[in-house]
Formats: sequence, structure tokens, C-alpha cells
Amino acid sequence: MEAPRIDSGKIAEVSHGLERAEVESREKVFTVSDLGVAYSGNVALQDVNLEVHKNTVTAFIGPSGCGKSTFIRCFNRMNDLVPGAKVSGTVLYHGQDLYARDVDAVEIRRRIGMVFQKPNPFPKSIYDNVAFGPRVLGMGGSMDERVEQSLRQAALWDEVKDRLKDGALGLSGGQQQRLCIARALAVEPDVILMDEPASALDPISTTRIEDLMHELKRNYTIVIVTHNMQQAARVADMTAFFSVIVDDDGAGRRGILVEYDSTTKIFTTPSDKRTEDYVTGRFG
Amino acid sequence: MRVEFQGELDALEAGFQETGEIVLRSIRGVVDALRTQDVELCDEVIAFDDEIDDRYHALEKQIELVLARQTPVASDLRLVLALLHSGLHVERMGDQCVTIAKLTKLSSHLDTKQTVIESLVDMGERCEQMTKVSLDAFSARDVGKARGLHGLDELVDRANRQVFGEVLGYVHDPEALEWGMRQITVARCFERIGDNAVDIGEQTAFLVTGEFAEFTDASH
Repeated sequence: MEAPRIDSGKIAEVSHGLERAEVESREKVFTVSDLGVAYSGNVALQDVNLEVHKNTVTAFIGPSGCGKSTFIRCFNRMNDLVPGAKVSGTVLYHGQDLYARDVDAVEIRRRIGMVFQKPNPFPKSIYDNVAFGPRVLGMGGSMDERVEQSLRQAALWDEVKDRLKDGALGLSGGQQQRLCIARALAVEPDVILMDEPASALDPISTTRIEDLMHELKRNYTIVIVTHNMQQAARVADMTAFFSVIVDDDGAGRRGILVEYDSTTKIFTTPSDKRTEDYVTGRFG
Repeated sequence: MRVEFQGELDALEAGFQETGEIVLRSIRGVVDALRTQDVELCDEVIAFDDEIDDRYHALEKQIELVLARQTPVASDLRLVLALLHSGLHVERMGDQCVTIAKLTKLSSHLDTKQTVIESLVDMGERCEQMTKVSLDAFSARDVGKARGLHGLDELVDRANRQVFGEVLGYVHDPEALEWGMRQITVARCFERIGDNAVDIGEQTAFLVTGEFAEFTDASH
């Protein structure tokens, strides 16, 4: 009998994530320098420097209030929508300043899609949910093909192909989340931001979303915020650990980036004691 | 934080050290049996191995549960992995003691050569010392002490070669040769115990530094 062929490189990539050198050899999608965010003068996050590379999964982990959700929202200017929010420092997207005056925030949000913690489909049909974005943006080509391709990429097509006209709210939570991913994919983004995409889902649906991330990273760059450390360990190539520092008077709490490295490094031999304490469950 | 988990890790490590202590008694027993050619003591060492095996299997089972239920990472994961490997090394040391005891019994009806017995006892005592050093270094997370095992192992290897050379001289005396051939295997068993102690030292270095490196390259 012929021995099964094993692609050891593939196994290594799936089970260990990419090596840091491999990640850093890929094109820079985001370059964040000295980033800070304040809400009505209160500093929420400060001094963040990191790079996100193409066709990788990058995870942000850390305790509640460490600013990781605030940070991911800087990547598609979602903080613009929060009254009193002020972003300092720079975020370069393919070398272009995301916060420059002449940047079109709507175009940015097309290129940099987002999926949220709670699945939030529109109260419309499955088909219309996916077709909505391309219609609004006046994107050309066959809409049927675009919808099918997006649903296929989101690993939902086989489950919904016979009921595309049914209401999206009739889908299960896990299916709704994949529909939201299909909706994000339909406008041909470059990056997909996911803020706790599986925290409202059951374990089977969570596994499907995680498998999907491995698939999607071939064509997209993925950034994910997660409370679930093992999820970061399973899906991410690079992991950033954020923590909170509390002012001496106890009044102010600011998020900081403690350590950013390959996921393998973060979960086997982190450099910073604070990261070690967090991933081993001794803190947070 | 994670008080229960820390308690489980502490219990795993205590279980490993206890198994190590028992193996030390086994090594001491087999060295005494060699020195005095005591067949009854050999039987005790052989019977004693069941306890070592039971303890190792209990350790392995506990490690399986900790891995399944606690998903340790970083230094916790290294500790669990180092305990799993080191536990197996200690269990193998016990097996070598059984082999030495059986060989001593098998050759007990033959005349012994004092020079060889002295070399073997010397090897055994060095192995006992190395095992103790390896357990202490693991417990203290002392990489320097663990690395020192390499130097001690050189002495055991040298004694092993001496026994071999000595037995070569028995080639024209069939009875002495039969006895001598068995003693070569005894020496080899001690030599393996020394290697296992070095292996535990390497696990200590991995536990502390996160990098696994053999203290010596056996392929050269």
C-alpha cells in the first residue's frame, strides 16, 4: 500500500502558525506608530507600535479594559463615530496615513471590513444581506455570482443555497455570523477585522469560524480580538498582548501593548513576565 | 489565581520526585547486591520495580488529565512536558536496575573478579550521585547544576570502557569470559542510567530556558 502523502509544511503552518520571520517577510498592511486613543480627554490606550502583515491572522488578547477593542477600531476608523474620541500617532495602511484629511472613511470601511461579537444581519433575506453592500457601492458584475462566491467563501453556501430568499434572522447564531462574514467579503475587502467573532457562539460554530479564518487568510488579512486565549493560540500567526496600567491615584486606567510576537512564542516562551502571568492564568 | 491548577502542578512534581527517590533506593540496592553478590537483595530490587512502574503510570495519567483539563501553556506547559519526559527517564533507570539484578543472579554461581566488581560498584555509586544531582537540579531549576551532569557522565563512560577492556583479557578462560560478558552488560546498564540522568538535566534546561539542547551530541 502506498504511504499517505503528508505535506509537512502545511501541517506546520496549520498547527503552529507562521514563524515570525515568515510573517515579517510579507507585505505590511498596517504600520502603527505611537498610537494613542482618548475618550473625552481620558486616555484609553497609549504608545502602541506594531505592524500587521498580509495574509496573516493577528490576534489581540488581554484583560477587560486593556484597549484591544479600542485598538482594532482604529484600523477602520470606527472611533470616528464615537463622540469625544481622539486618535493620536499614525496608522499607515499600505503606507498611506489612514487618518489623513483626504482619506474617504467609507472607502476605508469597504477595504477594511468588520465582523462584530454579536451577529448583526439586516432583517432582510439571506441574499439581500450579502447583496446590500455591493448594491450601495454600485459594484458591477453578476450579483448572483457575487452572492454565491461570498457565501461559499464564508462556508455557508451549502447550508443556504436553497433558501436564499428566506429571512436572515431565521438562521442559527453561527450561520448568522458566517452570513455577516459573507456580507463583509461581498464588497471585496482587503482586511477583515473581527471583534470577538465567536464569543456568542456554541463550540461547534466557533470551530467553523476558526476553520474559516484559516481558509480566509489565503486571500485576506485578518485581525481578531478575542477573550479566548486558546482561540488566539489556535488561529493566530502573531499575537499581541495588551494590559492595563492603573495610575498611582487609582483614577486612570490605560491600555498598553506589552508584547507582540509570533503566537508560538507568546504561548511557549513569552519574553515579558506580565504576558507569562496572563497566558498561564496567573493574572487577569 | 488558578489555585487548584497550581496544586495539581505541585502534586505532579512531588510525584516525580518521589519516584526519583525510590529509583535512588533501587540503584543503591543493586550496587550493594553487586558488591556482596547478594541474590536475595537482587530479588528485592526486581520486585521493587513494580512500585516504580505503578508510580510512573500514575504520574503519566495525572499529566494526561492536566493536559486535557487545564490546557497549560508557557512555563506550565514546559513543566508538564519536562515531568512527562523525566518521569519516563526515571522509570527506565528502574528497569536498568532490574536488568543488573537479573544479571547478578545469573552469574552468581561463577567466580567473580574483584577488579571488575570494584569498577562496577564505582560506576553504580557515580550513577546514584548523578541521579541525585539530576533530581535536585530539576527541583531547584538549576541549569548550571544540570549541565554539570555532563562531566560526571564522562567518568561513568570511562569506567564502562575500562570494564570492557578488562573483560577482553578473559578471552582464553571460558568461565571467566561468561561471567565477564554479563558484567559488560551490567556496565552498559549503569552507563544508560548515567545517560538518563543527563537527559533529566536537559529537561531541566528546557524547563528553565524554553530551549531544548542536548548537552552532548551522541552522534559524534
